[in-house]
Amino acid sequence: MSVKSEVMVKVDNLVKSFGNVVAVNGLSFEVKPGEIFGLLGPNGAGKTTTVKILLGLIEEDSGEIEVFGLDPSKEEVKVKDRIGYVSEDPLIYRSMTPRMLFNFISSIRKLDEKETTEKLKYYFESFEAVEYYDKLIATLSRGNKQKMQVIASLLHEPDLLIADEPLTGLDAKSAKVLKEILELHTERGGSVILSTHILEVAEEVCDRIAIMDKGKLVAIGTLEELSVMANKAGADLEDIFLKLTNQDESITHIVKNLRKMLGNNKK
Amino acid sequence: MKNSELYKVSKRVYKEAILHAQLQAAGSNQQRFLERIQKDRVARSQNIIFKFMAAVYIASLVFLPVISIFQIYLNFGSNPEWITFAGSLSFSIFFIFQLVILIVFALMLSWGIMSGGPYEWVHTLPFNRNHIQKIGLFTFARSINIQLIVMSLVLPIGVTTAVSLAAGLYLGIGKIFLISIVSIIISVLNTIFNLAVLVILGRKLAIVMEEYDFNSKRANFVRISTMVIYLITSMLVVITIQYGIEKLPILFQISPLTAGSTSIMNIVLSFIAIPFSLGYLMTIFLVDISMIPSLVIVGSVTGFLLYILLVYLVTKKALKTLRNISSPDIKRFDPKRKKTVVDDIKIKSTTPTRAYMKRDISIITRETQQIMILIMPIMIPVYAAILGFTGAFTVVLGNTGLTDLYIVLMFFIVMNSFILSVSLTNIETGGETITASLPINPREQVKAKLPYFFSIIIVAILVAQIFLVSSPIFYPSLYLTLAFLPVFPLIGISSLLFKILLFGKLKNKFAVEEIRVKYKIYKYILGFVFVACLMALFLYTAYVGYWAIFTAEAIVSVIVFFSFNYMFPKAKWKVKYIF
Ligand SMILES: Nc1ncnc2c1ncn2[C@@H]1O[C@H](COP(=O)(O)OP(=O)(O)OP(=O)(O)O)[C@@H](O)[C@H]1O
Ligand SMILES: [Mg+2]
Repeated sequence: MSVKSEVMVKVDNLVKSFGNVVAVNGLSFEVKPGEIFGLLGPNGAGKTTTVKILLGLIEEDSGEIEVFGLDPSKEEVKVKDRIGYVSEDPLIYRSMTPRMLFNFISSIRKLDEKETTEKLKYYFESFEAVEYYDKLIATLSRGNKQKMQVIASLLHEPDLLIADEPLTGLDAKSAKVLKEILELHTERGGSVILSTHILEVAEEVCDRIAIMDKGKLVAIGTLEELSVMANKAGADLEDIFLKLTNQDESITHIVKNLRKMLGNNKK
Repeated sequence: MKNSELYKVSKRVYKEAILHAQLQAAGSNQQRFLERIQKDRVARSQNIIFKFMAAVYIASLVFLPVISIFQIYLNFGSNPEWITFAGSLSFSIFFIFQLVILIVFALMLSWGIMSGGPYEWVHTLPFNRNHIQKIGLFTFARSINIQLIVMSLVLPIGVTTAVSLAAGLYLGIGKIFLISIVSIIISVLNTIFNLAVLVILGRKLAIVMEEYDFNSKRANFVRISTMVIYLITSMLVVITIQYGIEKLPILFQISPLTAGSTSIMNIVLSFIAIPFSLGYLMTIFLVDISMIPSLVIVGSVTGFLLYILLVYLVTKKALKTLRNISSPDIKRFDPKRKKTVVDDIKIKSTTPTRAYMKRDISIITRETQQIMILIMPIMIPVYAAILGFTGAFTVVLGNTGLTDLYIVLMFFIVMNSFILSVSLTNIETGGETITASLPINPREQVKAKLPYFFSIIIVAILVAQIFLVSSPIFYPSLYLTLAFLPVFPLIGISSLLFKILLFGKLKNKFAVEEIRVKYKIYKYILGFVFVACLMALFLYTAYVGYWAIFTAEAIVSVIVFFSFNYMFPKAKWKVKYIF
């Protein structure tokens, strides 16, 4: 592993707003080598925005960011060279086939042809996607597009994998394969930032979890630490999550109202 | 179920098909297109505008038979052999043009109908097979109803009117009536034939445009050539109509051949079913039959019978095609290709710039809008030809041979350069995050766009030069073009850089894609004005003298070179981190 610093990612007091919407508001966290770091939060909490800033895709308003000790907005290319990114929407070229796409990516990343071919074969077999290698991406199903995106993010063996809802659209088997890949990745010293809604997944694979709400960090720590914070020892992540984002009471309320409405309609 | 009810259903299918075709053409701009048609009624009725344009074009062709008829009666006494030939020829050209215009206008819309896609949901409704076939037929008829009506009416009306006006006094009602009947029969047959050809070609085009698994190199080639042919044909038709109005009378007056060879040519041509037999038949009835050699009459009757046979065969094939598209069995064209196996997976790397060029090409060639923009510059020679032929532009200004025609052409170049810059940079937009997350120096990305400016426009302007050969301003224009050669890429690259400057400025770098999208329209206008001013500067130097041209070229080259390197600096380092 060529990472010299003890932290992969360091975010300090990050702020980003779009017009008058404050998407990220004073966020701070660190990601260490070899850990899977979960980014949790309700819709619109600012997860995707945070992740895009780390990649240098969006410029922050203020705050300190270091990825591998570098500033991603200044040394974008160096940073991207070592990051794999699975975006929220599988926006890969519709008019290309996976063959063209992977040739394109390996040319840009200057990967070794032989080595990459071997890896690609291995990934395509693991995800059972070999038959789609020469089909137009536009014609692939949602899940198969996602697989292409995931494979594209792994080919160069990144030090840091940033995955925004990577399991979207994947079937049970492929999801399992991906989770294994993530584990393997950290065992070899790499880190993962995993933004997700699926609490079971976070619970299962994440070493540490940050919970965001309305752009702010609500809590950060391991599952045990979080349950202590929520005063709910032994509770599952769903309860902790709802409690920490102050959604548990409103949920009770919503459920009550739903019951009432649906009950009325029955009559 | 009654036919009238099925006809009503076909209206929905038809609308679906139109949308299908428009979406196909919108390529990656589908989302934007959908938003637009929700707001914009004009966009929704685009196809009606197309229909009427086609109808007007088809109707306007009537000048060919009308002028011919006047010329036939004016000149017939002088050289009957030659007049027969000229008359038949212009009628034949008329028939061909009708077909070409119908195809040029209708194909774009009817391939959506021919692809089978719009019928998919009809199959989920409670219709039987026979009903669905009829719906397919009705839908197609709807797409070109106006054109077909105009096409079948225009010849009889034109011929009858022209004959009455030109020779009504000495032909008599009976003869005029006979001519009308003949023209109706010919027109109906011709319309059926054109319709059938359209169906068959439409299906072919649908296969080309929709076939996803198509071997990519061939598909790209076919797509591009389809578009080029489409554009060039439509332009050529416009030119020919213009040219024809001017030159057709002359055709009747001069005969370059001896009477003997003309009559042999008449006999041979009259046997040829398409396109001549119809023309000869029409001409025979127009002129005095007793003056036509019997072999020509035999020939055109034989040709006509052959034509009827052909109409029958083509119609049969077209009906079969129509039946097939609405059948559920053929929805996608899936060529029997072998399945990809693991050993087919193989990575082939190139340099980043080349990889970007390959990617650009693969996107451009698969999206109709992009192809259109890429081949827009090819139109420059066509403009030159049209403008050159009209002879309106012949003024030479200044002392380097700058002409008024040249200034107009340069305006097209400015337009094309700007449109090219916009569309090339827009390939990067569309949120293609895969590229965004790649460690690419934008310099290489931009470098991949430069070849377009060095090739397309320069080739176009050189071809335009050929079209001016017969013009009095050929030599002045040629010398100026040679002196101007560096101007074209300079204009193109400047417009590219300026566009990126307006839209892609970030804190520490410039991005190729549009990031600052506020005031988009004003920025586009500004960008265009900028390029136009730059061109005006060059044109001014051309007015002054060659030394001024070369000086300006040198100065602008230096500025462009330094701006490029400032905006897109070379990478200062080279790292490779692997586990
Ligand atoms: N380009 C943009 N322009 C304007 N507002 C934006 C933009 N991108 C994000 N936002 C806003 O910023 C806030 C945070 O968005 P973000 O996509 O980061 O949330 P998220 O946590 O990823 O949500 P989700 O769970 O739905 O993916 C939202 O209110 C969103 O509307
Ligand atoms: Mg998100």
